[in-house]
Amino acid sequence: MKTPTLSSPAGASAQNASGLQGLWQALPDPVRSVAFRLLALGLLCLALSLASDAFLTTTNIVNVLRQAALLFLLASGVTLVILTAGLDLSVGANVAMSACLAATLMKATGSITLAVFAGLGCGLLIGIANGLLITLLRLPPFIATYGMLWILHGVTYWFMKGETIHGFPPAFRAIGSGHWLGIPIPVYLMVAFLFIGVLFAQRTRWGQEIYAVGANPEAARLSGVPVKSRLVLVYAVSGAMAGLASLIFLARLNSAEGDIGEALTLPAIAAVLIGGTSLFGGVGSVFGTLVGALILTLVLNGMNLLAISSNWQPVVTGVIVVLAVFLDNLTRKGDRK
Amino acid sequence: MHEMTVRAEPVAGVGKLIARLKHAGSASGALMMLIVLCAVFAFSTENFLDGANLVNVAVQSTILLLLALPMTLIIMTEGLDLSMGAVLTLANVVLATVAVNTGGVSLALLAALGVGLAFGLVNGTLVSRLGIPPFVATLGTLGAAQGLALVVTDGQSVVGIPASVQMFYSGAFLGVPAPIWIAGIAYAAFHGVLYHTRFGANVFALGGNREALTLAGVRTRLYLVAVYVIGGLMAGLAALLLTARISSGHPTAALGMEFDAIAAVAVGGTSFEKGKGWLLGTLIGVLAVGVLRNGLNLMGVTSAVQVSAIGLLVILALMIDAFRGKQS
Amino acid sequence: MKMKTTHRLALLALVLGGTSLAQAQSGERIAVFTKNQTNPFFQAVRLGADSAAKQLNVKVTHYVPTKPDSIPEQMSQIEDVIVKKPDAIVFTPVDYKAMGPAVGKINAAKIPVVNVTDRSEVGTFVAFVGASDYQLGLETTKYLIKAMGGTGNIVVLEGVKGSLTSIDRVRGFNDAVKTAPGVKVVASQPGNYQRLQALQVMENLMQSHPKIDGVFAANDAMASGAIEALDGAGRKALVVGINGTKEAVDAIKAGKMLASGDYNGFLQGCVSTMTAVRELRKLPVEKNVVFPATVIAKDNLAQYESPVESRSCPTWEEAIAKK
Repeated sequence: MKTPTLSSPAGASAQNASGLQGLWQALPDPVRSVAFRLLALGLLCLALSLASDAFLTTTNIVNVLRQAALLFLLASGVTLVILTAGLDLSVGANVAMSACLAATLMKATGSITLAVFAGLGCGLLIGIANGLLITLLRLPPFIATYGMLWILHGVTYWFMKGETIHGFPPAFRAIGSGHWLGIPIPVYLMVAFLFIGVLFAQRTRWGQEIYAVGANPEAARLSGVPVKSRLVLVYAVSGAMAGLASLIFLARLNSAEGDIGEALTLPAIAAVLIGGTSLFGGVGSVFGTLVGALILTLVLNGMNLLAISSNWQPVVTGVIVVLAVFLDNLTRKGDRK
Repeated sequence: MHEMTVRAEPVAGVGKLIARLKHAGSASGALMMLIVLCAVFAFSTENFLDGANLVNVAVQSTILLLLALPMTLIIMTEGLDLSMGAVLTLANVVLATVAVNTGGVSLALLAALGVGLAFGLVNGTLVSRLGIPPFVATLGTLGAAQGLALVVTDGQSVVGIPASVQMFYSGAFLGVPAPIWIAGIAYAAFHGVLYHTRFGANVFALGGNREALTLAGVRTRLYLVAVYVIGGLMAGLAALLLTARISSGHPTAALGMEFDAIAAVAVGGTSFEKGKGWLLGTLIGVLAVGVLRNGLNLMGVTSAVQVSAIGLLVILALMIDAFRGKQS
Repeated sequence: MKMKTTHRLALLALVLGGTSLAQAQSGERIAVFTKNQTNPFFQAVRLGADSAAKQLNVKVTHYVPTKPDSIPEQMSQIEDVIVKKPDAIVFTPVDYKAMGPAVGKINAAKIPVVNVTDRSEVGTFVAFVGASDYQLGLETTKYLIKAMGGTGNIVVLEGVKGSLTSIDRVRGFNDAVKTAPGVKVVASQPGNYQRLQALQVMENLMQSHPKIDGVFAANDAMASGAIEALDGAGRKALVVGINGTKEAVDAIKAGKMLASGDYNGFLQGCVSTMTAVRELRKLPVEKNVVFPATVIAKDNLAQYESPVESRSCPTWEEAIAKK
């Protein structure tokens, strides 16, 4: 067992050290998992602030938070899906379609409310469709959401006709680029959904049922959990969050094109995995995903600040994901597959 | 008594036939889609059934088939290899660079196979020894391979591929194009190993019955490494065809192809969960995708609709399987 | 670019002689290949091709890879299309170096092919129609430097690494900067021609470089991303892009963007299709149509304000006169 890297007061007695070690080992897995990640996050911040003067400035931190907020909002929905041992490959395409739909409506009617409802509604409906494909038609999540991804792209390209829609009202743009008390609006949304997500997952019956379905669907079913409904629920949430993310995207970029959101799917999944949620289901947390999103964003931010060629970004992302899961396996108490 | 014995034989024979049909029926989703697509395109375009066109479709499908064959094995072990497209791309870039510098095929192919072998070993080790879920492990190697391809080329294409390489795509032997030979031999090899060797039987058992296998003394870890290594090697081989096809090495040439391969395997009837695999189904799946793309191109269908059609194909094929009660 | 008098006379004679033949044929089938469905530039090219098709009474079919910029897919599409034997092909290579075998097959099938937008390094073409990315980079940068008063810090947002347009535009940029010793290039990063990427790169660059006076973005989408980043940080800089999209024109009008190099996709689509048709109808063509680099800025906005959908192709003579 690794000795904990928590700092101990200088000259700590042997008793103290073993006390800390005992404390560490007494913690339940999920807490250890998150604590260890927070530690990694802290070390990362430390390293970056030493390596680059530009890191610890207000503007940079604000930037990082805003970038992480978008990633987190998308990844939080995906967390619930992965908690049920499922997968949602269609989130990026969902963002694209919802954003393009909202943009088209906003241009056509000038109504922000309509656009917001359209974006959220579109995302939600796509999520429900995924859920139904998986529960009613029994398609494997990988295939169902992959097929959906293509269908969504096709529909989006078709009504966008390769064009860009740009120029939205300032009131709408505030969602993505606005500030309040110096902090970007998306960050407030991030914090809000962090609370909502954690409360939902840990404190509501639905949340607990989701964990149960992921850990052992058969046992869950036998104890009366409506497994199918919960599955549709998680995909619906994932879709709705994609709809929300699409609005923020739209507001931030002030334009919509057919391929926005393309590149978001794998980073969202990576953030969930780095955050400690297991692909086998039943293990993980929304808070963990937040930390995962922050770690990922910070690493990319650091690479930019240190002018490391963007060619290395995929390598670094890949290594971090594997490392995170590997270290989790090492430190988990129980038997893992 | 006497009557019963006489009746036993034909019943046994029919039983075998029913079993075969059930087996074929289990992949009927893909087969049905393929037949329907061929029929539709044969009627709505004048060129689909041209010999030249059919050969095109077959040749265009070879690279994907080379990836889908090992992917079938990997999925049968309840795994996934998300890195195949990126490894193929890296191998393509490496093969191209070596070929341009040495002017020949052999060293270049060895280099490409080496790249595939290396990544296969990494994947296999991560999955079997370190217990990392295949999705995660191969997601990591995907990133590594993708980044390396960019670093090695700095985003530029590698051109000047010697004719000795190009011939692997454009050449023909006994009137049959080279890629079809290569794909055919690969298919036969996979079929032989999977259905007629102990190795193959163990691969079947690796999915869904791993504990029993370990208890029986089989070194399951080694088998897991083996399937990923085979995947990597096939990516290296596919790089030869890819480099010859596009006559260059390009750092984004085949990114994302693993998803096509996974979809083809799933469409073909191999299940993600139970470790049930059907190699012929994979071939059908690959052809179904190829025929769809080709037919839509011939019909001049708008690209946006083509994109959706591909998603629909995948979902429909699996829906058909589900309705036929394939999934228990 | 001034044409020699002899050229002008010859062209005039040929045009006068050729116009009478133009009406004889119709209904030819042209296959147009573009790189992807998501970049509005290529939509403009396709619209130009459609407009020319309507004027000349031919049928155009578009082929776009389902995976953006996919080399193997464009190859497959070409192979499929050759089976159908179109009368002519208008072709943008997904990669200007790698499409050799594809063009080889088109040449082997004896289908006349016109190269548009990205100059392909391999293959035999009836003509090339495009803009000089180098000139665009050069002229747009010169405009930026002039507006900056010849001094200051510039940041470069490159396009897709390895793409010809990006390479040439940045080359033009570099040459322009060489003539202005007071200007310093503090950073040059790829933005992949993507808005979001450019935004995030710009945000990060602003961290490392407190003083940025000018931004050269290799396309308008990235310029927009840079502008968003600057706005978000409350900073100001002079931003130029290339493409001349409606969005850029609006931004220039609103004073958010300084200028944009006119990379007229619509016109390229028009002329390349017209060239293909003229080749089929045995009319004279121009082998190398390179449109001059015009910089769109506040003073010449008016002519660029109409949306692409409502435009129609100029006549051949007008179009050739533009080069």
